[in-house]
Amino acid sequence: MDYLAKKYTRPRKIPSTACSGCGLGINHKAVLQAIYELGLEVEDIVWGTSIGCAGRQTFGTWKGDGFAGTHGRVYAIARGLRLALPSEKKIILTVGDGDAFGIGLLHLIHAARSNADLTVIVNDNLGYMSTGGQYGWTTPLGSKTDSSPYGMYEQNLMSDDIDVLSMLKHAGATFIARHVSMDGQRAVESIKKGIRNRGFSLIHMVYPCPTNFGSRELGTRNTIKLYEWIESRAAPLGEEDENTVWATGVYHDASNSRPEFSENIHKNVERIRRGAAL
Amino acid sequence: MKRYLETGNFAITEGAILAGCRFFAGYPITPATELAESMSYRLPQVDGIYIQGEDECAALHLCIGAALGGYKAMTATSGPGYILYADPYGWAIGCEIPLVILNSGRVGPVSGITGAPGQGEFYLTRYPTQGGNFETIVLAPNSAQEAMAITVEAFYLAERFRTPVTILADQLITDGFEDISVPENEEEMKEMGFRTWPRKINKGPEFYPPTDEIDIPPVVLGHNTGALCSDWTPTEEGYDIEEVAAHHKHAYRLIYKIRNNRNLFSNLYEKTFLDDDPDLIVVSYGTPSRVVNTAVKKARERGLKVGALRLINLWPFPDEHFQKSTRYLSVELNWDGQLVREVQRAVPKDAEVHFLGSCGDLPTVQDLIETFEKLLKGQSLSRRGWELEGW
Repeated sequence: MDYLAKKYTRPRKIPSTACSGCGLGINHKAVLQAIYELGLEVEDIVWGTSIGCAGRQTFGTWKGDGFAGTHGRVYAIARGLRLALPSEKKIILTVGDGDAFGIGLLHLIHAARSNADLTVIVNDNLGYMSTGGQYGWTTPLGSKTDSSPYGMYEQNLMSDDIDVLSMLKHAGATFIARHVSMDGQRAVESIKKGIRNRGFSLIHMVYPCPTNFGSRELGTRNTIKLYEWIESRAAPLGEEDENTVWATGVYHDASNSRPEFSENIHKNVERIRRGAAL
Repeated sequence: MKRYLETGNFAITEGAILAGCRFFAGYPITPATELAESMSYRLPQVDGIYIQGEDECAALHLCIGAALGGYKAMTATSGPGYILYADPYGWAIGCEIPLVILNSGRVGPVSGITGAPGQGEFYLTRYPTQGGNFETIVLAPNSAQEAMAITVEAFYLAERFRTPVTILADQLITDGFEDISVPENEEEMKEMGFRTWPRKINKGPEFYPPTDEIDIPPVVLGHNTGALCSDWTPTEEGYDIEEVAAHHKHAYRLIYKIRNNRNLFSNLYEKTFLDDDPDLIVVSYGTPSRVVNTAVKKARERGLKVGALRLINLWPFPDEHFQKSTRYLSVELNWDGQLVREVQRAVPKDAEVHFLGSCGDLPTVQDLIETFEKLLKGQSLSRRGWELEGW
């Protein structure tokens, strides 16, 4: 990712300190590739992150302005910032699954509800991996983690008919996609659509964690084995079979179909300021 | 100058607007709801934004986001919402984000009594978040008019110190109707002693210098300065770092920028009959101080040598007012005794310290005068059962 790294990232933070074999860098690169293909420059984007692996490893990597919020709250911070920044500035958030779908779910739903112009990349390593590997809200059923030693049996946001993405769709998100790290250009194209949508976009991107998830669930930190494990459970939407956990592609595209959060507020403030009656 | 018969919430709204506040994120809670309502009415008229958070935690995070984008921002709540600020409050302290937060105290713990005044968050405002390694600025007005002035001052201090400032009020101050004068131009603001400070933008690259200096502009995102801010211990450039020496520098700044420059607001107090070395000094803040002041004046008429010290600047605690070795009485709207502990810490070793608590209702002037008389006669304050003085 040399040319992308040079153009968009800071040498102090890239290469990152992620574990050997971690798939986060692949997701990160897909986001940078999408930014590049859209012709966006460093000053066009303010980059926000959360905590955990996805948050900390991407914080401060962007050459331009950046911030990292407390656990789960970055969506509320980003909405406040959205109201303050000019509409042409993009806000991209790289966060983790625990942050977005656990502690931050309330704030995430309200960001979707208000259709705030944010592009949220949820980098999903299938649980709480920076704390050593506990199950999260998208950990596949049956998976062993440090806090599900008998296999994950609690219903979560990826089991049976519950899907966090359909929840977000009904909450008002205007662009939603799901991918795995190995999707390459297909993921890049979805991220591009997400950034282009003037509204709330979320791209859920599963990535392999050999150190904690692989070692518990597969009994090995062998990177290739974990990559194959994920790939064999992923299939493009419409091509799913009984082994498919992650159907990949664009789930919902209602880009630019309803008013964007900050645009709507500024428009109404302007109307009131001009003397609208109570 | 325009005069109104209005609530403290109205006065605080006008004070915030005069100070340049153009962003308010609220969440309905008695007795701070009317401030949110009044902001939602007034802010759009002056090109400002009112927004409601999904909870108080989100409301303060929305303020943080707006402040990071350049707005002067404010939020308000009561005790049960103030504890939900613990998360963003720490973030704002660590990233040094100017904000103003109002806490209108009611009766706790938890939801307690919603429609009555209380002072249960004296210590909570000193430690509104976890982790320690910081100082906080807390100001407590005792009237609607003063609440306006303190709001303007809070915005001024927030900018210069790069920190959130809490205004600790109570239900009587925010909901009570009083005679209020609102300045209409800058000259009138100056006449009333209102001072303001503009939002400036830190150009970097050292966003977090390890110094106790004030007047360093805060981080503002979106100007391509390369600014970074996060919840981790920052390097001077804002990168996250796991290093004890870096943390020590950061903590030094968070503590000593406030401790070493508190002369900027240490004039915020009121002394009544303290010039002649009184035998009893009555200490209070907020609404109870109004009853205390009346009681002290009446006691003087009866020949009791009593004086009153009203604190407006609560934190950092103004130890300098407690040098005299005499009797002190702390009058507070709580039964557990909070301010009194700090008084006990600050006074000379041989001073006598007493506590008179009540909650949800103010003590009467008669109650207070009887208490003064008892103390001056050297009698104990012990009363019926659960009203024992022990704290």
